[in-house]
Amino acid sequence: MGTSVEIRGDGLRGTLWRPLNGFSRRYLLALAVTFIVGAWGLGCWGYQIVRGIGVAGIRRPTMWGFYLVNFVFWIGISHAGTLISAILRLTDAGWRKPVTRAAEAITVFALMIGAMFPIIHLGRPWIFFWLFPYPNSRLLWPNFRSPLLWDVTAISTYLSGSVIYLYLPLIPDLAELSQYSSGWRRRLYRLLSLGWTGGDRQWHALERAMKLMAGTILAVAVSVHTVVAWDFAMAVAPMWHSTIYGPYFVAGAIFSGIAALVVAMSVIRRMLHLEEYLLPVHFENLGKLLLLMSLLWVYFTVAENLTTWYGNSPAEMSVFGERIRGRYAPYFWFMVFCNFVLPFVLLSVRRLRSVTTVTISGVTVLVGMWVERFMIVLPSLSRPHLPAATGFYTPTWVEISITASTFAAMVMFYLIFCKLFPIIAVWEYKHVSHG
Amino acid sequence: MFLTAEFADAQSVAQAIASLRAQGFDGDQMDVFSTEPVEITGGLLDRPTHMSLTAVASAASFCLLAFLFVRYAQYDYPVVTGGMPIFSWWANGVIFYEFTMFGSITATFVMFLVESGLLTRRAPAPVLVAGRILLRISCEARRAAVATECLRQAGATGVAELRG
Repeated sequence: MGTSVEIRGDGLRGTLWRPLNGFSRRYLLALAVTFIVGAWGLGCWGYQIVRGIGVAGIRRPTMWGFYLVNFVFWIGISHAGTLISAILRLTDAGWRKPVTRAAEAITVFALMIGAMFPIIHLGRPWIFFWLFPYPNSRLLWPNFRSPLLWDVTAISTYLSGSVIYLYLPLIPDLAELSQYSSGWRRRLYRLLSLGWTGGDRQWHALERAMKLMAGTILAVAVSVHTVVAWDFAMAVAPMWHSTIYGPYFVAGAIFSGIAALVVAMSVIRRMLHLEEYLLPVHFENLGKLLLLMSLLWVYFTVAENLTTWYGNSPAEMSVFGERIRGRYAPYFWFMVFCNFVLPFVLLSVRRLRSVTTVTISGVTVLVGMWVERFMIVLPSLSRPHLPAATGFYTPTWVEISITASTFAAMVMFYLIFCKLFPIIAVWEYKHVSHG
Repeated sequence: MFLTAEFADAQSVAQAIASLRAQGFDGDQMDVFSTEPVEITGGLLDRPTHMSLTAVASAASFCLLAFLFVRYAQYDYPVVTGGMPIFSWWANGVIFYEFTMFGSITATFVMFLVESGLLTRRAPAPVLVAGRILLRISCEARRAAVATECLRQAGATGVAELRG
């Protein structure tokens, strides 16, 4: 089985294609660990299917727990790629070129993982296909008015668009790689490159398609997280029924997306030795974006909480109190520290801004945004309108295992992707260096 | 028959194309091959496109189809709505919007495949060399000498006949 990629091109191709060759011990270890954790999570899901949804910690009144937190978190992370890449492409930001593919890959994998959670959350996941409208013997149609159906259509559209958006600029690289590789890789690259020859008609069509896709995908990305926000806002639950939720969720999604991109780039840079291409200036620019989004996030958070406090509605104040000084307060203030205090200090002082501090901020923002999703889902359910129905959610080992396994799955997908496809588009990089 | 010529930069290619067009060759007879996109000055080798128009038309069609389907489905199996309308624009707007976008995405991808010629039967293509630009001309055998002369004058480093 041939796996080699014999590089005969210039230095750029040599460097960018080098990670495709061979498997280092560290790579195999990382792959094995993520595979084992991922498999453990799948096993736990199997256990939940056999024993029933009762093995999860979701009890009345907190009928949404870790699974919905993870759903919102991963859909948010998916905004790393397609949205950021589309914005940078439409504004023709030259520095985007080494960043875009790493970002677009995050989108596809995060969406695949995120879309699994509503299914994992189902009591009978094997009949999830009932959500799709198909002629059936029950003479039923799905309820299109339900936000759950909105999710299905929005995520399906976003996933299909993101896959195409990732695939299109890969085609020229795949065509080139097919010339230099052998064995199964050659066959794979040739099949996926669709017979690309590098003709000007093909380049024109690719550029037009990418521009159109960038515009369309931007609109879809915004709608996807707005729809996820409406899953909450359409319910008349305290602190959920808010008009600000759509933009609040979109801002949070872009925020966590940039953080995920920063962390992924930092790891890729170090593991694949791409220091020459993923420059400090890329981290500097993404750091500034992260800072901007941090400020926007804190603005939305203050606006949301201040309105609630001023309104002084008993049901809402009950949730507000639980979050600010009650049982969920440690999480709330930890979230504020991770999403605002630390990134603000590290990123606003120019002297402190470096690859390391931007990466640290990225990691803390990821943690903070997961906690933020937790803070959105749980306190409102713990303190419903009916005071007698209050409760407190504690996750079980099954939920924690499944959550951990999705993070492992994300890393595993990324490791496999980096080994199969160049993480920086050679032709885009060359194009900008000429331009 | 097909001729190929190798160039070191985009300016020489543009010069060759201008010279060939002056000799009566059509833009459809010429193709530029490269490992990265080459900017040819405006008007010399424009490729007409219907991608945007098709994307908009497809988006509108998908929106209409979604509307018809959802409306049919909701009247075919009317859910109890407590006095609210069976079909409502507000409640279904998201579905229509997503289908509209899906229509645009699908059409863009299909038009990319069509306009790039990846779906059609291809003429022989030269083997690409990183950093080099190749110009392919489709011409009758009797005009090969004229084309070769134009290419050489523009600075082509190698002119050869391309066989399938």
